[in-house]
Amino acid sequence: MTREADVVRSLVEMADTLVDDYDVVDLLTGLTNRCVTLLGASAAGVMLASPSGGLRLIASSSEAMRLLELFELQAQEGPCLDAFRTGEKVEHDNFEAGASRWPVFAATAIRSGFRSGLALPLRLRDAKLGALNLLSVAREPIPEADLVVARAFADLAALSIVQHRASVEAQRLNEQLSGALSSRVVIEQAKGVISERAEVNLADAFSRLRTFARQRNLRLTDVAQAAIDGTLDPRAWTTPGPGPSR
Amino acid sequence: MAGDRLHRILTVVSTGGEPWSSTRLCRACPELVGVSGAGIMLMSGDVPRGSLAASDDVSHLIEDLQYTMGEGPCVDAYQQDRVVIEPDLADPAAPRWLAFTPRALRAGVRAIFGFPLRVGAVRLGALNMYRNAPGLLSDDQHADALVVAEVTARWVLEMQSGAPSRTLARELEIGADFHFSVHNAAGMVSVQEGISVTEALIRLRAFAFSQDRLLADVANGVIARRLRLG
Repeated sequence: MTREADVVRSLVEMADTLVDDYDVVDLLTGLTNRCVTLLGASAAGVMLASPSGGLRLIASSSEAMRLLELFELQAQEGPCLDAFRTGEKVEHDNFEAGASRWPVFAATAIRSGFRSGLALPLRLRDAKLGALNLLSVAREPIPEADLVVARAFADLAALSIVQHRASVEAQRLNEQLSGALSSRVVIEQAKGVISERAEVNLADAFSRLRTFARQRNLRLTDVAQAAIDGTLDPRAWTTPGPGPSR
Repeated sequence: MAGDRLHRILTVVSTGGEPWSSTRLCRACPELVGVSGAGIMLMSGDVPRGSLAASDDVSHLIEDLQYTMGEGPCVDAYQQDRVVIEPDLADPAAPRWLAFTPRALRAGVRAIFGFPLRVGAVRLGALNMYRNAPGLLSDDQHADALVVAEVTARWVLEMQSGAPSRTLARELEIGADFHFSVHNAAGMVSVQEGISVTEALIRLRAFAFSQDRLLADVANGVIARRLRLG
């Protein structure tokens, strides 16, 4: 199979993964591996901005300590941080050229055997999410054609992250929705229980439930659950609460 | 194209200038998808929780029947996470739902469709659409229905996103029918019969089924103390 076919297949595979539930770390790790196998990078990593704004490594093509350390450093300085902050591509940089923009990062990279690297921002419209970093043991810049592919990978990574976040939010809202509904159901059932025990209508039953919870500083849902389970003294409901009920 | 469909759907739902509501979404379905009516059923934990909206009485009955019987196109669409298509309920070769089908037919339903409501991997319920004549949806109508389902699902979550935690968004509670009276009745029956609330719910369902009545109807009888099970 030609390399172009490989690239296209990779993109299609990754786009397919986005459709359903997926593990974003898995997807990004796969993407860093493809940067190595298809683009000739020696190592690759994806760093994402945490809620506090700092960059953290989320996926890398290898778990080698020397590589992880290189990414950790970039929370302070390095191509990833620059690409993330500016939202622009950080061009190929020869770490050995001296007077590097990132003295600590460059020195550590050289010690680890890397001679050059570049970074692409991960962004979707105005949102800056992080950066994709390609590192190379060679001094020569990555060919332009490979850069185009790297750009496509970075865009897909950004999309996957945004979709993942939207999906987490949808999950949260749905749980909240069904949780709220369940609480409400428990309260309605308790109203029925109290109404029958105290021989009052449902509105009075609710008022007794509420009064009981307020006087003891308990959550309404907890008292309602106890009323259903019968763990409260049933006589609690036969004495009306203070004040007129509506 | 999906974008064109979405545009058309949003235009139809927005005409008239009334604020958006789930009922409006349902009422737009006849024009958008060429069906007789539509309803939105919310589900969680594999069971119907209630009807969010319905375009007409028949759609409302379709929702109530499914709530009472625990079976039907929405229940299948949600549980199996796929589109459910029944082009002719009267076809004896396809009696899919033993309890639901004869009652739906009696109400004038001939074809019925269930579309899962989902956002990504999150499942919220199902959108049901019916026709008073047999027949499949055209490819175009089917594609439109999928977009309506998608818009509906996002709309539900969007509404809930404004609610304080532990509470149901007002927009979802107004107009929706979560069958609270059934739960009131279950509480009462549990005391009357000395059984758990869960068991009381099952007894209420069984009673409704055996008397060929809707669950809400039976519940109202219990609440008004006109009716006692057992």
